[in-house]
Amino acid sequence: MSNITSVTPSNVPAKADSGREKRQGRNPFRSMADAFAMPLLAIFTAFLIGALVIFFTSWITSHNIRDSLNTVIEAYLGLFRGAFTKERGFTESLVATVPYIFLSLGLAIGFKSGLFNIGVEGQFYIGAIAVAWAGALPALRSLPAIVFLPLIILVGALGGGLWAAIPGYLKARTGAHEVITTMMMNYIAFRLVEYLISFPLKDKGSSATQTLPVADGAQIWTLSMIPAKLRDPLDALMIALVFAFIAFVIARWLFDLPAMRNRIQNTGQKRLYTFGFAALIGVLIFIGLPALSRVWWPFTDQYDRMHIGLFLAFMAAVFVWWLLWKTTLGFELRTVGANTNAARYAGMNITRNIIVAMSLSGALAGVAGAVEVLAVSSCRCMQLFFSSGYGFDSIAIALLAKNNPFGIILASFLWGSMRNGADLMELNSGVSKYIISLIQGLVLLFVAAPAIVRWIYRIKAERRPEEEAPLTHGWGGG
Amino acid sequence: MTTATKPLGRIRANGLSRFLINAVFVLLLLIIVWVLLNLIVNRQCDSSCFINLLAQSFRYATPIALAAFCGVMCERSGVVDIGIEGKMLMAAMVGYGVNLFLFQVLMTKMDPTVAGNLSRWIALVAAVLSAMLMQALHAVVSIKFKADQIISGTVINILALGITGYLYRQFLATNLPAGPGTFPIWNIPILSKIPILGDILFKHQPLTYIMLILVFVIQYILFFTPWGLRTRSVGEHPRAADTLGINVFHVRYVNVMIGGLIAGLAGAYYTLQGVDVFNPGMTAGAGFIGLAAMIFGKWNPFGALIGALIFGLGSSVGPVLSIYNPNIPSQLPQMLPYVLTIIVLTGVVGRAVPPAADGQPYEKQ
Repeated sequence: MSNITSVTPSNVPAKADSGREKRQGRNPFRSMADAFAMPLLAIFTAFLIGALVIFFTSWITSHNIRDSLNTVIEAYLGLFRGAFTKERGFTESLVATVPYIFLSLGLAIGFKSGLFNIGVEGQFYIGAIAVAWAGALPALRSLPAIVFLPLIILVGALGGGLWAAIPGYLKARTGAHEVITTMMMNYIAFRLVEYLISFPLKDKGSSATQTLPVADGAQIWTLSMIPAKLRDPLDALMIALVFAFIAFVIARWLFDLPAMRNRIQNTGQKRLYTFGFAALIGVLIFIGLPALSRVWWPFTDQYDRMHIGLFLAFMAAVFVWWLLWKTTLGFELRTVGANTNAARYAGMNITRNIIVAMSLSGALAGVAGAVEVLAVSSCRCMQLFFSSGYGFDSIAIALLAKNNPFGIILASFLWGSMRNGADLMELNSGVSKYIISLIQGLVLLFVAAPAIVRWIYRIKAERRPEEEAPLTHGWGGG
Repeated sequence: MTTATKPLGRIRANGLSRFLINAVFVLLLLIIVWVLLNLIVNRQCDSSCFINLLAQSFRYATPIALAAFCGVMCERSGVVDIGIEGKMLMAAMVGYGVNLFLFQVLMTKMDPTVAGNLSRWIALVAAVLSAMLMQALHAVVSIKFKADQIISGTVINILALGITGYLYRQFLATNLPAGPGTFPIWNIPILSKIPILGDILFKHQPLTYIMLILVFVIQYILFFTPWGLRTRSVGEHPRAADTLGINVFHVRYVNVMIGGLIAGLAGAYYTLQGVDVFNPGMTAGAGFIGLAAMIFGKWNPFGALIGALIFGLGSSVGPVLSIYNPNIPSQLPQMLPYVLTIIVLTGVVGRAVPPAADGQPYEKQ
């Protein structure tokens, strides 16, 4: 694939693993400041304008400047208290962060591949309903969590992935623009889910319109459930396996560091050490964690909805980063996104890459829906009026973080805390919580057109060109 | 001007013949729909029911067609506008609010029917202005700051969702006085007496007539005036147009703002013509369906109207089905317009070629 760079050197992403040499010349602090300055200014400006809006709407009704100023302060204080310092405020913010992380990771994969998947909201719904259906199947009811939990998350991913693969296929085959098709798929998904919950999947025993609750083994644990769950050796084994896998990945990464690479040359030895380390961590967790949780466990509040899905979300972020920047598939996806023609000349399969990108994007959205049903919903089922809106907010998150998975975690936390704090804000100050959407829309505006922020603060334009996938290719239909 | 007109001749030749082909296509479709409908509802939908269905589809097609015209105006000049939905929402809210509160003021000074009429028309103007304000943002961000136009349009959509939601909850959700209601139906004096056509075409509320008139106006402007020629040349090859002395930015700004005006009309449909209520998110994707209608119509107003009518038909079939055959869950026919949109986009109806410079910011050299 080395001939790609010779086709159009300016518009092709850095080859996987070759970024290290490129980055050395630049001052790391300077680039950190570059990466954070614009988003922070965008957020700051949006909050400032939000304050002005609150001030004026309050002034229209009260005609009192002091009162209006108070409303602004009350509102933002309420937002802060609701998001962090209120009882269970902080953990609830984290609960709201989880779907944001998954969804904006999905969007980031799309953006990097030159696809704008507005349909994450619909894929989220489809993932949720797929999980609600599979989790309540009588045939699977008695499965232990070690089998059921991975299986059901896979079902959610499949649901969202297949739903997104349809517009992906249409885009690749007929050129139908994904922005409209995925938007339409959203509305179809809402109607379909509404129909499924009201008729075929309805829980006949319940007075509310909702599906059957999922089986015990399919539920994602909240933190307070962990000590009880770990008494079952199978569940403890599942956790141990997850940690062993993480240890394995870390060990692999450690052995790739230059210092270690020179010390241990032998592959067999390297493999032995990696597996040994993983097994050691696994055994330690398997024996140690249940014992520890019995003696001492900090999370005892059973009304706290904080769940281990957050952990899954972090793993997903690392996975997406690895996939996009460290694998051939990710390289192909980014190349297709940045310059379709270069990708075609290099012999990459455009059709396949578009479908894969959309499916991956949808799969992450589906997992978000799965986590929402399995861990957050109070009935552990899917209800009619399963309210979300996560999908549209995530567009702003992915753009704000410039599709960087770790930036996405930070931005998602900001969005999650705003969403969570909004209720207390509305209660305290009477300012509608929709002001949050307004502020988020403004952030998106400033991120989309950084020239506005530069113009406001008189900042000079950045000189280095960025790797960016253009989205506007005109419409499909041919 | 000869160099600029040559590549554009193709589009002009497409206009009328395409319209005829589409008309035949629609007639066939209508027959199929009637046959299928009667199969499903056991021959209960007689001719008056079917005429009603068609009149209803004109009503439902109004906002979609207007949204499509907005798309036509913007994209013929080379600016992709995905934010129609947001502008419509904005206009719907502003129209509703102005209509409601202006009526309270005017009612004390004059006869309620006159006050109602006046406030409705002023509300329409206010709605259009609010949509144009949003559009100005899109225009500046995508033409001056040269941001990605899809992103810019999405910004408009999300921002509109936030603004309308916020203002709705602050001012329009509770303790509302009685409003003046929606536009009355105008029966066009002589034309509405024509047996079938009169019932379908000439017994509507004003915005539907405005939409029907706009089809001709836009077709005339785009294809028979110098301005239209400039617009199309800017959309096809802005550099060539610039060389010939056309101010690309000026043409784009004006066209995009006209698009905003039309999108305002589309949004006003919901609260000034459809129902006398505002809900956040009430446009339910009509802006996007309008874009699909535009693509279906090959960026021609007549074609866009036909596309919108098909979607209107799709939406009006649902209620008929649930009246005559209650066993069908209402959600399934509700999906129909969205499924139709996707089918249209996949190019089943024929190849659609957008203006060549659609979506590309213009850099002056």
